Amino acid sequence: MRVLILFLLSAVSPGQPSYEKANELFVAQKFPEALVAVDEALRLDARLVPALTLKAKLAMAANRLDVARLCLEQALAIDPKAPYAQFLYGMVAYMNNEMREASTRFQKARELAPRDARVALYLGLTIESVGKPADALALYEEAIRLERLSGQQQADTLLPGARLLFLLGRLEESERWIRQALQLSPKLRDAHFELARILLKKGEAAQAAAEGETALSLAGGSVADSAIHYLLIRAWQQAGKPDRAAFHAGAIKAREN
Amino acid sequence: MLRILLLVLASTAVLCSVEAPPIRFEEIAAKAGLRFQLQNGEAGGFHQIELTLGGVAAFDYNNDGCADIFFTNGAEIPSLRKTGAKFSNRLFRNNCDLTFTDVTTEAGLAGEGYSMAVAAGDFDNDGFTDLFVAGVKGNALYRNLGKGRFAAIEMPKAEARWAVSAGWFDYDNDGWLDLFVANYVEWDAAKEPRCGTPERQYYCHPNAYRGLPNQLFHNNRDGSFSDVSMGAGIGRQIGKGMGVAFADMDGDGFTDVFVANDSVRGLLFRNQGNGKFEEIGLEAGVALRDDGHAIAGMGADFRDLDNDGRPDLLVSGILNDSFLLFRNLGGRLGFEDYAQRTGLLMSTRQLTGWSLGIYDFDNDGWKDLFFALAHLMQLDRYLGRESALPNRVYRNVGGKRLEDVSADAGVAFEGAALHRGAAFADFDNDGRVDVVVSAVNGPAKLFHNVGADRGHWLGIRLRGVRSNRQGLGAAVRVHLADGRDLYNHATTAVGYASSSEAVVRFGLGASRVDSIEIRWPGGHVQKLSGVAADRIVEIAEDVKP
Repeated sequence: MRVLILFLLSAVSPGQPSYEKANELFVAQKFPEALVAVDEALRLDARLVPALTLKAKLAMAANRLDVARLCLEQALAIDPKAPYAQFLYGMVAYMNNEMREASTRFQKARELAPRDARVALYLGLTIESVGKPADALALYEEAIRLERLSGQQQADTLLPGARLLFLLGRLEESERWIRQALQLSPKLRDAHFELARILLKKGEAAQAAAEGETALSLAGGSVADSAIHYLLIRAWQQAGKPDRAAFHAGAIKAREN
Repeated sequence: MLRILLLVLASTAVLCSVEAPPIRFEEIAAKAGLRFQLQNGEAGGFHQIELTLGGVAAFDYNNDGCADIFFTNGAEIPSLRKTGAKFSNRLFRNNCDLTFTDVTTEAGLAGEGYSMAVAAGDFDNDGFTDLFVAGVKGNALYRNLGKGRFAAIEMPKAEARWAVSAGWFDYDNDGWLDLFVANYVEWDAAKEPRCGTPERQYYCHPNAYRGLPNQLFHNNRDGSFSDVSMGAGIGRQIGKGMGVAFADMDGDGFTDVFVANDSVRGLLFRNQGNGKFEEIGLEAGVALRDDGHAIAGMGADFRDLDNDGRPDLLVSGILNDSFLLFRNLGGRLGFEDYAQRTGLLMSTRQLTGWSLGIYDFDNDGWKDLFFALAHLMQLDRYLGRESALPNRVYRNVGGKRLEDVSADAGVAFEGAALHRGAAFADFDNDGRVDVVVSAVNGPAKLFHNVGADRGHWLGIRLRGVRSNRQGLGAAVRVHLADGRDLYNHATTAVGYASSSEAVVRFGLGASRVDSIEIRWPGGHVQKLSGVAADRIVEIAEDVKP
């Protein structure tokens, strides 16, 4: 027992406390303070993989993909089987439009962590962008299945698949996925926007306009205001309300000027 | 009775054996003596201009009835000087036997600077087609003097802007062609932004450059032009212009303008008929992709695809953009996305397109699509695939579906290259539309249309009297004996940086022409009947005293 305790004590990295502090600061979105703490952790233990991974996340948040890549290369050199580092490396490559590298990394991460829904989702996005919609759709479905299994279903996870189904012209299925997302998160701006697009495509202009207006009133998400205004121009025009359409056209033009 | 039965059976057999004959091309540039290699002058500096050159024109400069070919060419960087013959723009005379002779020197068209685009049009109404050549730091206007020679004409003094496309049209219907120039971004070799790392440099995204307004030059009818961009409302709009296309989208007798922009929204200038334009891209639903995303718009063509008499709009983009196809619904309804329903959206998602054209390659009465393709250079390292791509051709199935028939278009059609400009004409006057395509740092290609005859055809060479000499802007309706109507209009502004023949072409399918209606710029309507098919007819404007 004494030997075991000694072993455990010696196995704790000297940088661990600083890393834990840095992680708490990261969660609190205090990024500059988190960077100081993680640098301290790495000064104490340059081989601390979680700290290298955290530093990579901080670099990604600051759009320093080059720094993130270096940190992750170091982390994976120390522990090639670190699934989260592989996943983040895939993210860096994805954000850099390096789809071949992203695909390789996500696939490795998926082998290491087959129950991680995020990995399936991002591998799907990568695969979709290189022109394999059927494979991508299967991965989106897998991501949803994994989240359901874990009891942590996210509305955002339903959106990429719904968008792809829309592009494929499978409007009814796309709408079903979007409505599921809205059940999970009724104030999800992007989902209201996607629902508005589907309704407009189906010729239900007035409902599309109402959904679009709802989307515009909500914060967050990745859909730009201009995209929603553009949809609303067409929806209101088709709904026979040219004055409302003109209002939204004016909103885009005001931003351009 | 037996005879009738046999006839019915025979006709049934014919119907059953008829399959849609493939659209097929042979690549004959070398055989035809069309030896041209587009040089972008790259020397490892990742200059943006290296990506965007390559305009081509198909036009009949010597009025012998055979379409000739003009290629623009690059220059050394950063001097932007054509330091050797390899950078020369080139004019090839069509010998009317599907061979070509380089006549650049005698024509005086070798050019200066880093050339990008070309627009062909008879701006002085003398019956000889003139040329405008757009460039990175200056444009050139060449008057066709006849006898195979051209002379440079001074343009209005203006700040040198990087123009990528241009086109001729008569915006005020005064009978004289005006000039629209689509400008791209502010660029200076010495101040070129650097993207990537020293070890891993790449071409910057267009966001790294400031956009420019387009320009409109009014023809003063004396060989000079006035810059009317601001007064007309054209110059107030900043974009990153790449392709320009013209059509009278609302049938009011005045030609409207669409500009495809790179990574910012497309611009649709509605001609108000009083010398002013209103930009209505957003209101018309052609400014952005269906999801509100601005694609990297490149080439454009503005032509009726579904035979409803309203010009539709086709725009190429880059990888993961999908190409845009907007169907003109008419009136206040504007346009709707038509790329998804026709199958074009998913089919083009993995493509990067430059020039393009909406032409009826199989003469079945439905206009098809041609795309000159290539991914951006240096993209291969990111994608794990080649930047060079083969071109694509899509068959229009009844105006409702666009079917990629490239795989059946011939062995040479599968050849990959860094394709850029493309111009369309019937170079051998056999009634089938051919295509000439430029390729960055590679030989130009001449795709000779050798597809099986699918139908009759008609080419109309307009001769304006009150209107501009070439009748550019005139809309033509061909009423067929089987009751169908076909629509097209006269324009040379087609695709990306390029210019195509002014002949208005129709594939007639199995039918014949019953009557023709020409709506000349300004709205004057001329009707004809008894026009025979399978030929080019010249129709002069019927001007009543």
